[in-house]
Amino acid sequence: EAASLARSEGAGGLAQWVLVELQGEVEPRQSGGLAGSLLGDLHYTREGIPVLIVGHHILYGKVVQLEKPFAVLVKRGAGEPGPAEPRTHYAVTALIKTKLLFKTRPKPIITNVPKKA
Amino acid sequence: GAMRNREEVDATLQTAKLNPAELLPAVHCLSFGPQAGTGECCLLQLEPGLCAELEAGNSLVIRGEKHEQAVLCSKDKTYDMKIADTSNMLLFIPGCKTPEQLKADEASCNIIHSQIAGFSSNYWELRRCRPKLKKLRKLLMEDPYEGPDSQKDQTLAFSKYTTEDFLSLIQASEEEILCHLQVIDACKIEGYWRILEFDYEMKLLNHVTQLIDSESWSFSKVPLRTCLEELGSLEPKEMIEHILLSYGRKYIDDAGEVYFEMREEKICRAIAQMLLQNAVKFNLAEFQEVWQQSVPEGMTTRLDQLKGLALVDKSSRPETILLLKVEDLPEDNQERFNSLFSIREKWTEADITPYIQDLCAEKQTVGALLTKYARSSTQNGVKVYNSRRPIS
Repeated sequence: EAASLARSEGAGGLAQWVLVELQGEVEPRQSGGLAGSLLGDLHYTREGIPVLIVGHHILYGKVVQLEKPFAVLVKRGAGEPGPAEPRTHYAVTALIKTKLLFKTRPKPIITNVPKKA
Repeated sequence: GAMRNREEVDATLQTAKLNPAELLPAVHCLSFGPQAGTGECCLLQLEPGLCAELEAGNSLVIRGEKHEQAVLCSKDKTYDMKIADTSNMLLFIPGCKTPEQLKADEASCNIIHSQIAGFSSNYWELRRCRPKLKKLRKLLMEDPYEGPDSQKDQTLAFSKYTTEDFLSLIQASEEEILCHLQVIDACKIEGYWRILEFDYEMKLLNHVTQLIDSESWSFSKVPLRTCLEELGSLEPKEMIEHILLSYGRKYIDDAGEVYFEMREEKICRAIAQMLLQNAVKFNLAEFQEVWQQSVPEGMTTRLDQLKGLALVDKSSRPETILLLKVEDLPEDNQERFNSLFSIREKWTEADITPYIQDLCAEKQTVGALLTKYARSSTQNGVKVYNSRRPIS
């Protein structure tokens, strides 16, 4: 049984995404789950330091060029039903060569929809 | 929810007591995309070279049946896959720009709404491994080709394999599979990969060596054309050519004629196997005599031609030799050593090397393997290796 990681068709090459690494876990505040909810605002200082504001926390991080890049795999639906085992196909949808590493760990980070000013 | 606007962003900055003047003008408002929590997305850490392969448009394939541990294959390499757990949260974000990218594009819009595509606390880690090729030979041996005159039922199609079949059954890259098929002298017959049944292979070889003898050709200049003419009535031409390719090195002379330089070592080895497979063990001296007489006139037999094929016992009186083929031994490192130590309790490095050489990973030495899987001691002034643990 083989699952192939075919490249996604896309205009000119694979997309480049960015990894954000945070301490702790992400918990949804609303019971509806994470989809659609805000995480926070990502700024950069003029020196290039990433600053992430999540709820009431400010996290300072750094930009790291990954020695070993990541490929982002996306599951494509199961294969055709039939006598053969259903295959799981993965597609490589993007590459990640850069990460924003946030090392400070105050408390569990809670998603929050800020009130209007 | 509604997307954040500049006022809201600025208000947050104010609450956070951050000075906008010290920040780049653009802000990323991060939110979780619709698929974010579903686990449909995961991360694969790439070993050197794989990133470039993906960017060049090549695919990677995960191979393995349910009972096998999955491996990842590029077009020419195989990797073990393992989950690496971190204690952190990794968010993967499309369209997120780095400071350099933002500075390079000052005119870019002020607010970038980025949707987090997914997150995970773990990722797949890869480690280069030996391709798992033993199964390839095992599958081919299910139905070895015995020649066109064989009485066997020709409709046993289920035991015949194409390249595509191997790509889905064998945990190795395509290049490693094709290379190994060549190493084991497999050939394509009617679109299926086949391995020759040993007796049939020897029959073909014998036709060729007899012809070489009767034509008084040099072993290094055997003409393909004449072989096909003279032997084509006895065996299929594809088989004549295949045996020449298996046991000779092909070259083309200035006139464009195809010749073969016969491989003495391989021919002597095959004949040794033919002799040794008929009994459990042989008197070494008797074997050497019969062996020399059995090889083509002009070829010289030497015991070192039999590395990985036969094992000599110098401690017994008289000295003996038995058939022991490395390809019949287990593929897994620990199982291989267990098997070898159950055949013989103590081994010299010279004797054991041909039986463990193929286990060496990239840049690994036989010495390193011995250090890991064996214990050394000195016996009669000679360094020997035995098992690290009792063999049941």
